[in-house]
Amino acid sequence: MKLFSLACSVNGHKVRREILSARSLLEFIREDLGLKGTKEGCGEGECGACMVLVDGLAVNACLMMAVQLHGRDLVTIEGIKGKAGGLHPLQKTFMAEGAVQCGFCTPGLIIASEALLRRKPKATLEDIKLELTGNLCRCTGYEKIISAVAKARGK
Amino acid sequence: MPEIIVKPSTLRELWVMLPELPAARRYLAGGTDIVTADNAGVEPSRCWVDISALPELGAIKETARALFIGSCVKISKIEASAAVRKWCPALTAAIPHFASPSLRNMATLGGNAANGSPCADGACALIAEGAFIFLALKGSKRRLLLKDFFLGPKKTALKKDEVILGFEIPKRRHAGAYFKLGPRAYFGISKAAVAVTAEISGGVIRRAAVALGSVAPVPLLAVKTGAWLAGRALSPGSAALAAALVKTEVAPITDARSEAGYRREMCGVLLERALNSLT
Repeated sequence: MKLFSLACSVNGHKVRREILSARSLLEFIREDLGLKGTKEGCGEGECGACMVLVDGLAVNACLMMAVQLHGRDLVTIEGIKGKAGGLHPLQKTFMAEGAVQCGFCTPGLIIASEALLRRKPKATLEDIKLELTGNLCRCTGYEKIISAVAKARGK
Repeated sequence: MPEIIVKPSTLRELWVMLPELPAARRYLAGGTDIVTADNAGVEPSRCWVDISALPELGAIKETARALFIGSCVKISKIEASAAVRKWCPALTAAIPHFASPSLRNMATLGGNAANGSPCADGACALIAEGAFIFLALKGSKRRLLLKDFFLGPKKTALKKDEVILGFEIPKRRHAGAYFKLGPRAYFGISKAAVAVTAEISGGVIRRAAVALGSVAPVPLLAVKTGAWLAGRALSPGSAALAAALVKTEVAPITDARSEAGYRREMCGVLLERALNSLT
């Protein structure tokens, strides 16, 4: 097994680690960095629980290899904050709307929603539904999630 | 999982590197297919060669006669391309049905083709667009019609170590559509899918191509149906007749996703809807 010297940015901080080529991005985040907010659901790109932002785009960390992060910028749910610190508007609206039940899908949903609102601050309800097709939630029935994202627009 | 992942920065560097690498090697582009396959123990390899940063594979280029989409351009970048919207209406219509938004940030058309799946949405749409696939192996390059690249489930014309450079779509103004039937409206593998392109003038179809996904061992170009449509008026009547004809061209099977008879029927329904959506 060969070690790879990975240099990247994680939630705004420069990070350098020696890792195995076989490490997935998700293992790197959870096991090497100890950031447990990113979840593993299906491990095959179906559920979106492991979503993170790489160079501002939402990706499934379970399907990316950690070496592919070299030279790039990673934001996990731990890096999602309000402008003045504290909770991000999406985190506030998810709480206010009751969009969280068991909470396992929530980090991935916040990441996917943040990626959408960065790209389309005035996203329509249809845009929101389409953007979240890669995130499964088995508790809420999605209505409250969609309304939470809608209420975070412009905040 | 691989023991090593190497990442050449140019094609020339790749060809120099190859003889030094373990024989059990695979190319890595977006990873969305090969990581899942490897996790499931399918085709494990000691070495992955990450070709995602090769500049030769990473751009969308427009010339006077054609549009070239590099094999490693992310699907979300293709989605955002005005040139693709203008020249590839069937591919444009297929993209919202291609996996999910986050997977489209990772996946590539090269990977979609190399995976050799009969249900590949990108490949099916590109076949209807009349695309060519460009391949390279060391000094030699070759070009195939994309429909001829697929040989069977998980079987393609790729030789060992051959790289997909990209896809060339001839610039011809045409209408296009993509209709997919899956287990839900978006983000599912299709039970059946239909891509249509047509050059239409004065209400008459001058040239048409119909390609289908998930209903044959390969993404299928329905040659007879396409030829039959040429010269016909674009009308609900001709759409219904084409729908009847296409059902004789497909070869669906019953599997975990759907049933052969239902798939065959749906090919007709989807083609009729697709043709009636063209203007």
